[in-house]
Amino acid sequence: MTIANQAAPAVAVVGGGPAGLAAARTAADLGSPVVLIERLGFLGGMPIIENYAAITPHLEPAEVAMGRMITAVESHPLVEVVLDTEVTSCEGEAGAFTLTLEGGAGGSRKISAGAVVVATGFQHFDPGRETQMYGYYEFPDVIALQDLEAMLKDHHVVRPSNGESPARVCFVQCVGSRDRQIGNEYCSKVCCGIASKEAMEVRQMLPDCEVFIFYIDMRMYGYWENQIYWPAQEQYHVQYVKGVISEVLPKGDRLLVRGEDTTMGRPMEVLMDLVVLSVGMEPSPGTRKMASVLGIEQNKYGFVEAVQPPLDTVSTSRVGVFAAGAALGPADLEDSVSTGAAAASRAVALLRSPVGA
Amino acid sequence: MRSSPSEPAGAAVAERPRARGAAVKSEAVAGFDDVTYEEKRKLFEEVRSDLRFPDYLYGCYECGICVAVCPSARFYDFSPRRIAQAAARQDVELIYQQMQEDIWECSQCFSCLRCPRGNNPGGIVTIMREVAVNHGLASAKEALEGYSRIIYKIMSTGTQVSPDMLQPDAFPDWGPEVADVSNQLALWRRALPPETLHTTSTGWDVSDRTLIELYLIWLETGALDMIRDVDEGLHMILEEVMEERLEEEGIER
Ligand SMILES: Cc1cc2nc3c(=O)[nH]c(=O)nc-3n(C[C@H](O)[C@H](O)[C@H](O)COP(=O)(O)OP(=O)(O)OC[C@H]3O[C@@H](n4cnc5c(N)ncnc54)[C@H](O)[C@@H]3O)c2cc1C
Ligand code: SF4
Ligand code: SF4
Ligand code: SF4
Repeated sequence: MTIANQAAPAVAVVGGGPAGLAAARTAADLGSPVVLIERLGFLGGMPIIENYAAITPHLEPAEVAMGRMITAVESHPLVEVVLDTEVTSCEGEAGAFTLTLEGGAGGSRKISAGAVVVATGFQHFDPGRETQMYGYYEFPDVIALQDLEAMLKDHHVVRPSNGESPARVCFVQCVGSRDRQIGNEYCSKVCCGIASKEAMEVRQMLPDCEVFIFYIDMRMYGYWENQIYWPAQEQYHVQYVKGVISEVLPKGDRLLVRGEDTTMGRPMEVLMDLVVLSVGMEPSPGTRKMASVLGIEQNKYGFVEAVQPPLDTVSTSRVGVFAAGAALGPADLEDSVSTGAAAASRAVALLRSPVGA
Repeated sequence: MRSSPSEPAGAAVAERPRARGAAVKSEAVAGFDDVTYEEKRKLFEEVRSDLRFPDYLYGCYECGICVAVCPSARFYDFSPRRIAQAAARQDVELIYQQMQEDIWECSQCFSCLRCPRGNNPGGIVTIMREVAVNHGLASAKEALEGYSRIIYKIMSTGTQVSPDMLQPDAFPDWGPEVADVSNQLALWRRALPPETLHTTSTGWDVSDRTLIELYLIWLETGALDMIRDVDEGLHMILEEVMEERLEEEGIER
């Protein structure tokens, strides 16, 4: 069914990750036709693209959880899913936009939409740009959160250098976040929880492996406190050390990490088998690109700017264009699906409002 | 350095020699004078109102990266984090203590510029040192004691260590050749290609014009007065040398 040609104006959702899926489903459930446009050949966003194993808080497999959302959207009679496709222009105004789509089987085509929801998400910070000396591209046993996710998903956590099980693993927090030198002055919000979650999974899989987390502040607010932080310490005996690593050096076939144990007040040097960098979030290239295609304001970090904070989380600088999920800045799944649903309801409300935009 | 793979991180730390104590510090510094809170506050205000201060301290995560990269922290009971933390907390008492002790243990290498907040703990130390010198704190006097010859050389000639200071007995670790060289110092110096290095009592040839400019700078900027409270005798000698020379040149101040 080609939704965009129906009588009621459609909501165009750009990006098929958790936020875009929530937006598509909400708008459709409210009775509005939806066109969901995804750059890749499949839906699900980062949890699927980057092979996340299990998601917070109950460690449900990411594929299962995301699979439910994807099925609900794909089987919805009011949703048309357009894969392998990007939006290259957006003309008109709220209530009557014309979007040009490129890619997919159809080549280039135009669709009309009454409102647009941007849900183009984030990308992981590239650890090659960090300003300490962690050697992500130098040492095979220095990996990032998403690399460990992929190993956890395969139930096979090893040192990439030799295929052996690690006896000591550490996480280095805030890589690429909260850093004036790099220019990412914000906290990426999820990496403390994700690192702790992965730490528990490693301990579950390799009970003899010691796991350390080197941090500046542990940020697991709300229920993540007793859902993640406490079990990590109390059940899984993950060691939390306040002090961030400045350098990773090769030592024999292991890695020496240097830092300060700040609460003990002493410099430390510890041998590790596997070092996991807790990389933060940056706007995805798609988010930057869509912001310019749609002509909406970005903040200095390149995320889409929500222009009426704090009580309106989804309006952008262009009437009729809303944003959701990690396109707005660092966000966990709960934030992403919440803003996805909020953006969709605002879009539908706008199209139905008797006073118009 | 010791690190053991089987112990928890807390136990696997690097061992450092402790530098603090009577064996290293003079009596005057080990038991440095306690002054009134107002006096300490004044010193801190002087540090904080320095033009550079806002660029050197934003706020501190207490993350310890600066300590991990600091060479002095490995060998002394010194911590750039504590410097930044004390300044950020405006802990007047602790800052005074640091000005009497810690700041002289920094090597001013600025490795700590890697701070993710953009702080410069070594730069805070620079400011604290200047204030300590300006106020003639006991620690500044002690730290500069061994350097009066060097300060004299720099301020009176504009060059630092001069060839004739390299006596064989002063630098035994430089090996037996030093004796030969110092016996025939002028000859060896003439063997150096640049003519400006054919000197023995200064590091290189300093032109009259440079020296006069330098003296004027030391005097006009107050750089010379900085050492008045630390070494009165040295201050007097230098002032005399400079003023005499300027008088010869017919320069009035
Ligand atoms: C390693 C790791 C593990 C995580 N695990 C958890 C967890 O357990 N629990 C939790 O709450 N959060 C977790 N998160 C956070 C979670 O991944 C995000 O909250 C979530 O993915 C954000 O969803 P999103 O839809 O906004 O963006 P994304 O997931 O980034 O999805 C964006 C989608 O838009 C598409 N797209 C991009 N550009 C375009 C374009 N121009 N046109 C069309 N489509 C485009 C992309 O292909 C993608 O499908 C984790 C994050 C990391 C880094
Ligand atoms: S969530 Fe934790 S690791 Fe991530 S940027 Fe914030 S404090 Fe750092
Ligand atoms: S000064 Fe910078 S590097 Fe040192 S502890 Fe504070 S924030 Fe960390
Ligand atoms: S400048 Fe001082 S505080 Fe900074 S790293 Fe060097 S020795 Fe340490």
